[in-house]
Amino acid sequence: MRTQKRFLCLVVLMLCLGVLLAGCGGQADAPPAEEQGEDTKDPSEGDAAELEEVKVGMVGPLTGGAATYGISTRNGIEVAINQANENEEIPGVYLSFHPEDTEGDWSKSANAFSKLIEQDGVSVIVGAVLSSETEAGGPIAMDLGIPTISPSSTATGLTVGNPYLFRNCLSDEVQASQLAEYAVEELGLSRFAILYTNNDYGNALKDAFEETAASLAEVVSVEAFMDNDENFRPQLTSIQQKNPDAIFIAGYYTEAAKIAQQAAEQGLDVQILGADGFYSPVLVELGEETVEGAIFTAGFHGDDPDPNVQSFVEAYREKFNEDPDMFAAQAYDAARIVIEAMKKYGTDPESIREGIAATKDFPGITGLTSIDEEGDTIKEVLILQVENGAFKRIR
Amino acid sequence: MLSSYHVQIIILSGINVIMAASLNLITGYTGQLSIGHAAFMSIGAYASGLATLLLGFPFYLSLFIGALVASAFGVLLGLPTLKLKGDYLAIVTLGFCEIVRIVILNMDITGGAVGLRGLPKETDLLTVVVCVIITLLVLTRILHSRVGHALIAIREDETAAEGMGINTTYYKVIAFGVGAFFAGLGGGLFSHFFRYIHPNSFDFMRSIEQLCMVVLGGLGNLWGSVVGAVALTAIPELLRASADYRQLFYGALLIIMMRVRPEGLLGTRSEGFGIKSKFFRYSGWKKKGEA
Amino acid sequence: MLSQQLVNGIVLGSTYALIALGYTMVYGIIELINFAHGEIYMFGAFVAMLLVTIYKVPFLLSLLVAMALSSLLGVTIEFLAYRPLRRAPRLAALISAIGASIFLQNLALFIMGPRPYNFPSPFERRVFNLEIFAISQIELYILLISFFLMLGLHFLIMKTKLGKAMRATAQDKDTAALMGINIDKVISATFLIGSAFGAASGVMIGVYFRSVSPTMGLMPGLKGFVAAVLGGIGNIPGAMLGGLLLGVAETMGAAYLSSQYRDAVAFAILIVVLILKPSGLLGKMVQDKV
Repeated sequence: MRTQKRFLCLVVLMLCLGVLLAGCGGQADAPPAEEQGEDTKDPSEGDAAELEEVKVGMVGPLTGGAATYGISTRNGIEVAINQANENEEIPGVYLSFHPEDTEGDWSKSANAFSKLIEQDGVSVIVGAVLSSETEAGGPIAMDLGIPTISPSSTATGLTVGNPYLFRNCLSDEVQASQLAEYAVEELGLSRFAILYTNNDYGNALKDAFEETAASLAEVVSVEAFMDNDENFRPQLTSIQQKNPDAIFIAGYYTEAAKIAQQAAEQGLDVQILGADGFYSPVLVELGEETVEGAIFTAGFHGDDPDPNVQSFVEAYREKFNEDPDMFAAQAYDAARIVIEAMKKYGTDPESIREGIAATKDFPGITGLTSIDEEGDTIKEVLILQVENGAFKRIR
Repeated sequence: MLSSYHVQIIILSGINVIMAASLNLITGYTGQLSIGHAAFMSIGAYASGLATLLLGFPFYLSLFIGALVASAFGVLLGLPTLKLKGDYLAIVTLGFCEIVRIVILNMDITGGAVGLRGLPKETDLLTVVVCVIITLLVLTRILHSRVGHALIAIREDETAAEGMGINTTYYKVIAFGVGAFFAGLGGGLFSHFFRYIHPNSFDFMRSIEQLCMVVLGGLGNLWGSVVGAVALTAIPELLRASADYRQLFYGALLIIMMRVRPEGLLGTRSEGFGIKSKFFRYSGWKKKGEA
Repeated sequence: MLSQQLVNGIVLGSTYALIALGYTMVYGIIELINFAHGEIYMFGAFVAMLLVTIYKVPFLLSLLVAMALSSLLGVTIEFLAYRPLRRAPRLAALISAIGASIFLQNLALFIMGPRPYNFPSPFERRVFNLEIFAISQIELYILLISFFLMLGLHFLIMKTKLGKAMRATAQDKDTAALMGINIDKVISATFLIGSAFGAASGVMIGVYFRSVSPTMGLMPGLKGFVAAVLGGIGNIPGAMLGGLLLGVAETMGAAYLSSQYRDAVAFAILIVVLILKPSGLLGKMVQDKV
């Protein structure tokens, strides 16, 4: 009995380790066709043999509560990579795409980063999506000398001290304070309530908005909610008591739409303000008429007549049968920045890093983008309004 | 040659072995169902992380402090909940886990929702291996001592154990204290490995994951916890090859594994092992006298 | 303000109570914490949402269809994942339940995609503004439907033959079997009814919050479980009371203490209650015999 158990124990352990090592070894030299089954492949199979393959990784929540953000990000990058391959933008190079799931858990993001870099041999990673994922994965990529550009991790100071980490997103501080100024000066609002999601994104927006709004006007109520919350009635009832004339929702579209619905349900009819997390067709789908008139900051506007924007929106619609959201647009731009860097500087990780760092006035679909010396982005902030279920630029 | 990806998985397996083995002491040996073990891990991770960052303590001292603080919380949680049995205890541990997570999320000193950054990378393969060995040695020593026998007696039949003169309160608190100590140790290794911690990773799903490791390996079998922890750390990585189907496979695998070996990989069939124990009782069928 | 928050809490609590009923019924019979219950709730919401949006089925009919289909799902899960483990240690069944939960959630994610769907409201937005509080039409419907479902369940368990068999099985399976009760059938019936309640709750939450998504079952599933324990797990009136209490506690915690600590407040109350009453509010203290 005893020996039998010990034997079993040993066998299972060996099996796990063995399969792990073998499986990974096998994967490393597997042909790219097997790796990413579907459409990221170049259609011209005949040339593929002569083209050099450069692997682009992606890390984000593809399952779990934050999956909707991760999958939008993945889709955005896929569109960029497909376009680059179809147009043979980088001569002699074929880009393959390798997304990895984190389940929304930062500690699993570290595994995803190492796996991409060491097993798959990616040259660059676009990701991660959530700030905590990038915090955990960034240092690993730095140690292994692989550049990383996150399309959506907005946490303050994230890129400081990591020369391999960049990001392409609006700064929370800048957009929230600009929105507060706009709301007071242009819209003439004076009593603000803030409802923020209790994560790094919501906190940063809340702090900046509160500071600016309190200096220009009055902040009457600040309430929090958690990621993936559904019920906001207690907070809204408290806010209603304070009689504000605007409510700033510092969170993403899924929650924002529900908040708008529930506010309308209980007769709280005030101006809704938000940030770039609002930008998604889902906001209008879920929020319906209750988000009509909502004003929010954004880096991307899908109805912009700019041909780059239109070609992205069309390609995205065609492939995924829905309109892109903010995550997809920023991810697309992040991937574009990487592709531009490859064109100008070369496709080895060090050249890509150099190229990303040198990005200046890149005409992305999320506006003119420059990367500063810390790896942060400088972008202009748009202000959009929901009008007849569509987003209209008002500044 | 091992790449750092493999080293990383081995280190995480090691940390999970510590977590599973310490949970096994509470759940598998003492029979106190806990679904909040991640709380002790996060307390250990934050306490040791803060000791390193704010107080500038050397790594090993920080680790020890993290474990000690976690242990204190373990005793604290153990004390008032001793009256509770089975699933009521489970739900209190779950509540404790969520409370700890939310409090850390809202504190300033812990970095709140941004997380705690800038920890030095101290945890390496050797440290983890040494810690795993120490954990397993200490737990084995405890289990083969008077204390261990008392714990198993409590699991088998608490009332009888009390009748035999075992101070059940005392021993249950010991189980929680020791279990939380090693969970805190695991947490300290965790935080100094990733150089960053965020409370969201210590939610009840992680506790459940750790419970899965214990049950899969076999309740009341320390080597089982080793196997369970390594298996459940490695399997999700292996499943990465299946891309979008990964979590589907993982869920199905849990069901299948339980169906094939319900007593766990190294567990003992219930015959002759805890047949009277309420904890191991066949789920559907209880004898009249037992209720 | 206070009365308004109380109404908020009661409406939320009544949906928790419906979820808790499913947990508590299953637990009462086979002592299994059915972790996949949250996914049944999600499944029910999806079925009703698809019926209403694609096939334009009237709301009440789609609620019934969702309940029926979810019952089938519940019974299937029981058959595939729990029945083979009936003679295995309790925790093995728990892990199997967790596996089922992960599987179903990700199946939904795979089929439906991660984006939340809009659940079109079957009622027009109408708020009844009473002096001390306001209540919307949909909230009234939720309270009404929950009330009738619970009344129906009470009748079923206390007055019908099946109910009697369920109570007997919960008390003592072996003796019940000796008395000619088909235990397998009773367990299936329990899953059937429990899942129908879970689905009803999912549909109502879907309508109330106007959205349906693959991960929507996670937190309510947990809360339903907590509510069931709070009331005394295995105890049906207890589940109702526990659900209401949890809903009210959460709402009050968010309103008067701090919305940041909302869930922490709810759990702290739970712990205090359990320390004072170790077997839940209405649970019976079972004296151990040696």
